[in-house]
Amino acid sequence: MARLELKSVGKSFGAVSCARDVSLAVEPGEIVAVFGPSGSGKTVLLRMIAGMFEPDAGDILVGGHSIVDAPPEQRGIGMAFQNFALFPHMSARDNIASGLRARGAGDIAAKVTQMSRLLKIEHVLGHRPRELSNGQKQRTALARALIGNPEVLLLDDPLRNVDAKLRYEMRLELPSLLRRSSAAVLYVTQDYREAMAIADRIAVLIDGRLVQVARPEEIYARPASVAVARLFGDPSINLSEVAPVAEQGRLIAAVAGTQIRLDADDVPSGARERCWLGVRPDDVVVTRQDGEGAIPARIVAITPLHERAVVLLRFADGSEWLAALAPEALDAGADEDVFVRFAPEAALLFDHATGDRIGAPPRRQAA
Amino acid sequence: MDHSSLAGRIFRGIALSLVLVFFMFPIVWILLMSFQTNEQILRIPPRILFEPTLANYEALISGQLRTAAGNLQIEFMRNLMNSFVLSSASVILALLLGVPAAYAFARFKFKLGETIAFTLLSFRFAPPLLVLLPLSLYYQQLGLNDTYFGIVWVYQLIALPLILWIVRGYFEDISPDIEHAYRLAGHSWREAFTRIAVPLAGPGIAAAGLLSFIFCWNNFVFALILASADKQPVTVGALAFVTASGIQYGQIAAAIVLSVTPTLLLALYAQRYLVEGLSLGAVKG
Amino acid sequence: MLSIHNVDKIYHSRGKPDVHAVRALDMEVKKGEIVALLGSSGCGKTSTLRMIAGFESVTSGSIALAQRAIHDLPPAKRKVAMAFEGYSLYPPLTVRENIAFALKAQQLSRAEIARRVDEIARLVEIEDILDHHPRALSGGQQQRVSLARALVRDADLYLLDEPMGQLEPQLRAVLRGRIKGLLAERGMTAIFVTHDQTEASALADRIAVMEDGVLQQFAGERELKNRPANLFVASFIGEPPMNLLDTAVTPEESGFRLSAGSDLAFHISLQTLDVMAQQTLAQAQQIKVGIRPQRIAIGTGESRLRVVSNQWLGDQSHVAGECAGHLVVAVTQGKVAARPGDVVPCTLDARHLHIFGADGVCVRHAEAR
Repeated sequence: MARLELKSVGKSFGAVSCARDVSLAVEPGEIVAVFGPSGSGKTVLLRMIAGMFEPDAGDILVGGHSIVDAPPEQRGIGMAFQNFALFPHMSARDNIASGLRARGAGDIAAKVTQMSRLLKIEHVLGHRPRELSNGQKQRTALARALIGNPEVLLLDDPLRNVDAKLRYEMRLELPSLLRRSSAAVLYVTQDYREAMAIADRIAVLIDGRLVQVARPEEIYARPASVAVARLFGDPSINLSEVAPVAEQGRLIAAVAGTQIRLDADDVPSGARERCWLGVRPDDVVVTRQDGEGAIPARIVAITPLHERAVVLLRFADGSEWLAALAPEALDAGADEDVFVRFAPEAALLFDHATGDRIGAPPRRQAA
Repeated sequence: MDHSSLAGRIFRGIALSLVLVFFMFPIVWILLMSFQTNEQILRIPPRILFEPTLANYEALISGQLRTAAGNLQIEFMRNLMNSFVLSSASVILALLLGVPAAYAFARFKFKLGETIAFTLLSFRFAPPLLVLLPLSLYYQQLGLNDTYFGIVWVYQLIALPLILWIVRGYFEDISPDIEHAYRLAGHSWREAFTRIAVPLAGPGIAAAGLLSFIFCWNNFVFALILASADKQPVTVGALAFVTASGIQYGQIAAAIVLSVTPTLLLALYAQRYLVEGLSLGAVKG
Repeated sequence: MLSIHNVDKIYHSRGKPDVHAVRALDMEVKKGEIVALLGSSGCGKTSTLRMIAGFESVTSGSIALAQRAIHDLPPAKRKVAMAFEGYSLYPPLTVRENIAFALKAQQLSRAEIARRVDEIARLVEIEDILDHHPRALSGGQQQRVSLARALVRDADLYLLDEPMGQLEPQLRAVLRGRIKGLLAERGMTAIFVTHDQTEASALADRIAVMEDGVLQQFAGERELKNRPANLFVASFIGEPPMNLLDTAVTPEESGFRLSAGSDLAFHISLQTLDVMAQQTLAQAQQIKVGIRPQRIAIGTGESRLRVVSNQWLGDQSHVAGECAGHLVVAVTQGKVAARPGDVVPCTLDARHLHIFGADGVCVRHAEAR
């Protein structure tokens, strides 16, 4: 099998730049999630690999050979689309078999049966797309993408249009299904949980630029920038503007008027004029007890989320934080005054101007 | 909604009947006329009840028109045939040219694309009579005057813009991803066009073809100027009923019924396609 | 406050069979309550909302708001405010004018209108786009404007159709909190439609779960999770969905033994069963049981789980695996060091089982924690 390689790929439509100097390599059998907010250029990137757009700059290689000049049908790529893009006038069976027929493969019927058994759509092979549920359409589209054993598999947010329950099922099934094909897989998604669940590595794309490429745990624990930190986590990370000062080898910062000690281990330069302090809602503790490093706050509302209680807290200066707690860990209700604290090692510091995480390895400069 | 009062419903009934009478009356009256002799038609006051005659249809089919001034040869059946030949040939040519063009306009953004598409549409804006004079001069020079090909060519002014603009809309409604998927499955763009785009736009292509057939069928001026008796369609041929001894209303009515019937049947048939939605459920709705 | 009594909605369309969208719906909403209508598409939730708003007539039954029968009134006279799923902002008006539109009809003073618009704009973070036109806005921004336009009005009842589906994920949690705070502070009564149970449980005091036009259960989020009325609610509510197992029933001395496979069996003691549950179990040979993924403990116990996938999502791990021939999912806080193919011990405690009768009705609930 072959490796997929993007080399300094660039693309713009008029004044809008969709990909800037994107370099990324995907090994055979590896699943890389391309994750980013809507409009960040994920889909355009996939479509350049598939051959629907031509890159303005850079090169795309499969197994060491450039494919940018090859027409889509000769690139050896399988793709599943967000809107399924099934052929409406063909049965599910013909949809799946279309690629095999075009290549003149043998034993088509057996291959289609095997693939449809794997994806649990054997019973609907004779149906037209309009007779299929969204879940079945999506499985048919996946079968069509997988059946030709493509070297590169592109999945464009394939679970977007299926309901929550099916999406969850597929989230469990997909990784082993994709690994079985041993293709190099690029998986576009807008859901950070999906990216973390499915991918070996996540490539975070913001405004056409790859901001961080790393394993899921790495990105969650050590995001490269404020923007990345905000994209991972639900509810998203709390941010406060602080001006930390060094005191006896420790960093001290005022959050909503309260002096707080921060973990200074990977903050080399110590004191800063201004920076962003980020604390994930799961790391925020809400108590009734005052103490050192406890910030007074009032509970505005409590909303349950994924078996946890999300508490909207308002500090004296009007700024707001969220805390995500186990419901039994909360002993206060709405409109009550409480104290908020967090462990020093949970604090992330970001440069105010660039948004880069302080202590993060410097980003590779574009050549 | 069932919120309306009785008075409202009665008023609506009356209004509907008025509209119906206004639009349907001429058609019904023509149908009745076609079964009457000239004398019966010109009777004052006219009567609803009469003894029907098939003489008008007989005359049209046999080509013998008996008037007070003697027997006239008319070529109505030949005209009818001409209408068929001219309209069908025009639509086929327009489909061959227009469908690929419509696909190009729908899928590719190219320089002057919109301008060209609009120019093609603008042919429909000019009054045909203005175009005709220079056109007939050209035709005489080129020897295209009074040829089937010449008329079919000029009918493209009618059929091509119609097909281009209707079919383009249908192509634009097909998700390009479906074609992309087909190409990634290993097919060339030609196959994607013929096996995906054209079948999916089928209802639209049929509707556009039928509409332009009807428009060509109903055309009058182009054929009046550019064709002589043996190439004339029915619309022009009907002029023969204005004879030296008066206007043959009965035969005109019968000729209208005969020439309207095919287009009417086509339109009724096309209605199904015109109404049928395009999305077949492949793309999430 | 709002009472819906025995309401049916049947859509007749020519050439197609009638669609019975809502069946014999009874619902009471108290003043100041926030209620979610939750279900998958086609369950009748939107029809219900539109009947309350007045965009659909009721086929039979009655709807009363603040003791006034409203089901025959035109929408404008019902004193309800609505935020639409498709936003329906007036394109020629700026965001500010859009929000102020209904207030002008109420003949409020200019200063009062400006004050209210600014206040609600701050709440949903649209202060900086107040002078823009709707077409210049992103989907998320339009949805926030649409919400603001509904919430700024004075009405007896606020109806919100999928109010947060398009919101930017980073804003969602904060806005949910603020809107819930606003509704509670002002004592506003609201009903919203959603297909997203996360949104329903975050915002609503009570959730009406609908399926096939029938109200399945109408209760608070905790109640729905801990005491689901039937199999549908049990498997619909909860993320990830409840694990369902088929078990063989054998009567024992002090209860029943439910066996799900070679090394997975539960003893259900008679004391935890009421009369109906005892009868159901006594008559059954096979019975369905359910256990929430959060109640399966990984790492300890008698049962064995062969891991199929182990996914860490930043704040919790989802471990899926085969246990006695069933695919089950377990959710734990923190990371689990297991790779696909590994066999890990796990505990499925009989106390955490929901037991469902053949008709789907839940005859015994799991013990609350």
